[in-house]
Amino acid sequence: MSFRGMLREMKGEVGAISRRGLLRSRTPSVRRVAAVAPEEAARQGCCWAELPPELLREVLARVEEAEPRWPRRRDVVACAGVCRTWRGVVKEIVRVPEESGKLTFPISVKQPGLRDAPMKCFIRRNRTTQTYYLYIGLTEALTDDGKFLLAAHKVHRPTCTEYLISLDRSDTSRGSYGKLRSNFLRTKFTVYDAHPSHAGAMVSKRWSAGNYRVSHVHYELNVLGSRGPRRMRCVMDSIPASAIEQGGTAPTQTGFPFSNDNSSASIPFFKSKSSRMDSFTAPLSTQDQEERQLVLKNKSPRWHEHLQCWCLNFHGRVTVASVKNFQLVATDESAPTNQEHDDTTLQFGKIGKDLFTMDYRYPLSAFQAFAICLSSFDTKLACE
Amino acid sequence: MAATTADGSKVVGGGEKSNVDEESKMITLFSSDGERFEVTQEAAAMSQTIHHMMEDGCVDDEGVHLPNVGSSILAMVIEYCNRHVASPDEKEDIRSFDAGFVNVEHHTLFDIIRAANYLDVKELMDLCCQTVADSIKSKSVEEIRELFGIVNDFTPEEEAEIRKENQWAFE
Repeated sequence: MSFRGMLREMKGEVGAISRRGLLRSRTPSVRRVAAVAPEEAARQGCCWAELPPELLREVLARVEEAEPRWPRRRDVVACAGVCRTWRGVVKEIVRVPEESGKLTFPISVKQPGLRDAPMKCFIRRNRTTQTYYLYIGLTEALTDDGKFLLAAHKVHRPTCTEYLISLDRSDTSRGSYGKLRSNFLRTKFTVYDAHPSHAGAMVSKRWSAGNYRVSHVHYELNVLGSRGPRRMRCVMDSIPASAIEQGGTAPTQTGFPFSNDNSSASIPFFKSKSSRMDSFTAPLSTQDQEERQLVLKNKSPRWHEHLQCWCLNFHGRVTVASVKNFQLVATDESAPTNQEHDDTTLQFGKIGKDLFTMDYRYPLSAFQAFAICLSSFDTKLACE
Repeated sequence: MAATTADGSKVVGGGEKSNVDEESKMITLFSSDGERFEVTQEAAAMSQTIHHMMEDGCVDDEGVHLPNVGSSILAMVIEYCNRHVASPDEKEDIRSFDAGFVNVEHHTLFDIIRAANYLDVKELMDLCCQTVADSIKSKSVEEIRELFGIVNDFTPEEEAEIRKENQWAFE
């Protein structure tokens, strides 16, 4: 007998007892029928696929809202893997990190961070395997279990160092996500993305297809030579200077980050709102291109006479003095006085043995920030 | 106390008062399989669909036909509405009732959601959607597919990407 049939029979026998408006024709035990009739069992398998789209959206929106933090946020990713319909709905619901401050899908790691506040991450170094692991913090603490984002494996070559960056912590040999490459002197570093950040990205002639230049970092001694903190200048090839102006935007990647070939199946779908990006194919020189690239420079520390050291205010996020520590701010080099922005775009610093914090914000992505920080590990310019 | 009226219809609320009592006017609802339910207008108005019909004067003496809702599910929805209208302020009781109410077979939950959507009973929709969302927690992709009986319709290439995506997420 079907569940419905049993219910009807119960109602017929007991009748509807009215007491303060309560329907008492069924006892609770009837509702939880242990044995499911065959026709009901057959229905079980197929009915949810017919859920109206607005209801599916209601359900999935609740899942997304309930899990803002990792590790539980994995539920949102699981829902996006169920079927095409579910994936479409989840992708509509999940907002980019720039708006929500949340990292959800692996592609989030290549999307700009929050505009108004830093995204707080930390890096663990394994000296034995020469591997660096980037995590986003789960709490406000300097470090916790964290959610793994990226791994980078250092490779020594005769004329340079390379850091191969991957989403797979167990396999960093191919650098399928991107790479950082130094020059011979380890004073200049170039960051390459395995996928283009925008439609007109230039493919480096020196590398195989699938490597797009993202930024380059240059280290210099300052006027005090090795007695002062080194200077960093970071040019973001993929981000226009206008990105940090009122109403500006930075390119936002979407699509699958895993395939590292250029087949049509893996061509990403771009969300860049600026049509000016299509003409952004110029090389390093800042004079020829139509669009100025964003330049980040390290904030100048102040000499603390009493403590006899160079000091920067890291707002409690960096606790161990180290030449590697830095804060990068956007700089308008076209202005006569080299105008520095107040907001720190990227901050990096030591908090323990082989443990570092990395705080980044718009227009940088976690990937770009990580690569820039890796250069700080590698450069040989030190100060006494 | 027997509350089955002479014509065999089931009274499901305020049945001791006469139909002409203004404070608990009754309305008749017919399920898709022809079963008849008498409900107070107040309880029926929890359904925005029925509420609008009453307001627009679309409800005649015969009652409201609900071709999209079967009798067993309609009975449950009515039970929900009656309970919520009877003591809306007793939050603990209501919460406990709601928890028991959604403790049903997964496919029954599906039927209730569909009915609540059609009848536009917001509170019931919220309750059921939250219950379904809760059932998804901590499940893998395969477990979710099995629970909902959903077929994987990704291409092999897409499936490989999604597997890596989930591997990263569950890292």
